[in-house]
Amino acid sequence: MPKTEQALELTDYGRQDFAVCLGCKICASVCTVNDLSPGTNPQEMLQRLFLGQDVAADEPLVRFCTGCYRCTGACPWEIRIPEVIRALRHELGTESPFEKAFKGSVSLFGRVYEPYVLMKAVPFLLKGGYMKHVTRWMEYVGFHLPHKVKGM
Amino acid sequence: MEYGYYPGCSLTGSAHRLDKGIKKVFAKQGHTLREIPDWNCCGAFEYGDRKELTGFSKRNLEKARGHFSEIVAPCPACYKNLKEADEEREFAVTHPLDLFDEAFFAAMKQARDLTGQVFTPYYGCILLRPKETAIQNTNIMEETIARFGGEVSGEAVKDRCCGGNQIFINKDVTEKLSRLVLDRSQGTIVVFCPLCHMAMKTFSGERKVVYYTDLLLHIMGEGGAL
Ligand code: SF4
Ligand code: SF4
Repeated sequence: MPKTEQALELTDYGRQDFAVCLGCKICASVCTVNDLSPGTNPQEMLQRLFLGQDVAADEPLVRFCTGCYRCTGACPWEIRIPEVIRALRHELGTESPFEKAFKGSVSLFGRVYEPYVLMKAVPFLLKGGYMKHVTRWMEYVGFHLPHKVKGM
Repeated sequence: MEYGYYPGCSLTGSAHRLDKGIKKVFAKQGHTLREIPDWNCCGAFEYGDRKELTGFSKRNLEKARGHFSEIVAPCPACYKNLKEADEEREFAVTHPLDLFDEAFFAAMKQARDLTGQVFTPYYGCILLRPKETAIQNTNIMEETIARFGGEVSGEAVKDRCCGGNQIFINKDVTEKLSRLVLDRSQGTIVVFCPLCHMAMKTFSGERKVVYYTDLLLHIMGEGGAL
């Protein structure tokens, strides 16, 4: 089964559900990714999914979709495009070190324990130039021990 | 009134300020928040598998069952996930903003007003979209600011995305999107979401970034200047 099909299995949608898409491109007119990569059009991606074609991990929409639901809010069918993109990311294995650390913490504790996530993401944070923001983040610092959720 | 409380992970960590603020506001208004026992992470936006994602919140609802009928969840991601997982609408999953009605303001003790100050209520995404889980009054904070004499700015960008959930993935995305909001608004930025707070705070320079609870407590006379 192609990856795109597998991704759709993770959502509440099947390929055929995108047949309702009117091609009106209202989603494109409001999509946040356009502020980063002009010409981004979620409708075009839905069309490819409908046709069973591939979507690549390095496409701007897949990389930068912020999950803002502006497309859903404006779409006449309220298609939840960000949930489709999230599933694609999952299936295409594009998770960042931070996302992996987040999930790692949830499997370990049942919660996101931020010190654990930060520790895991240190190399990424150093390399990514995050240290220059640390002084502005001091108010976020606080100490608490992790809680282990029963049965998780 | 007693509410079930779902703080979620960030309110027990980096967003401790929002957690304390919510608890204080509720206490001052005569309400009790009781934490859902042994709650787990809601999964935020990190899970591509819908069943897995709603599974997290279903567990939390399970733990709330029999204890509470109304659950307050201040983090927009937690609020949305919990509300969506409650398919039978067994609970009233509520965002604090939906409790800001006339009775709330009537019970509120005002010690300061906001005359001469400008605020940008920045809602971002999840409180406003999708429709099924959006807050009821999408002008509630503008109305609140005006009620206490403050001036409102940033109407055109209040529902834009700050890119907060990309901050630890592609920081440049967050910077670009946050600046679009900052450049088209004035005054103190009032936020509702831990990620919006972090995105705005990182790039706001001299501009102040506060939670709405900070603003309410300020009006109620808590602390010094905002
Ligand atoms: S949720 Fe993603 S696809 Fe939809 S408008 Fe936002 S960035 Fe674009
Ligand atoms: S807004 Fe909805 S119906 Fe219109 S093109 Fe986009 S996905 Fe299709």
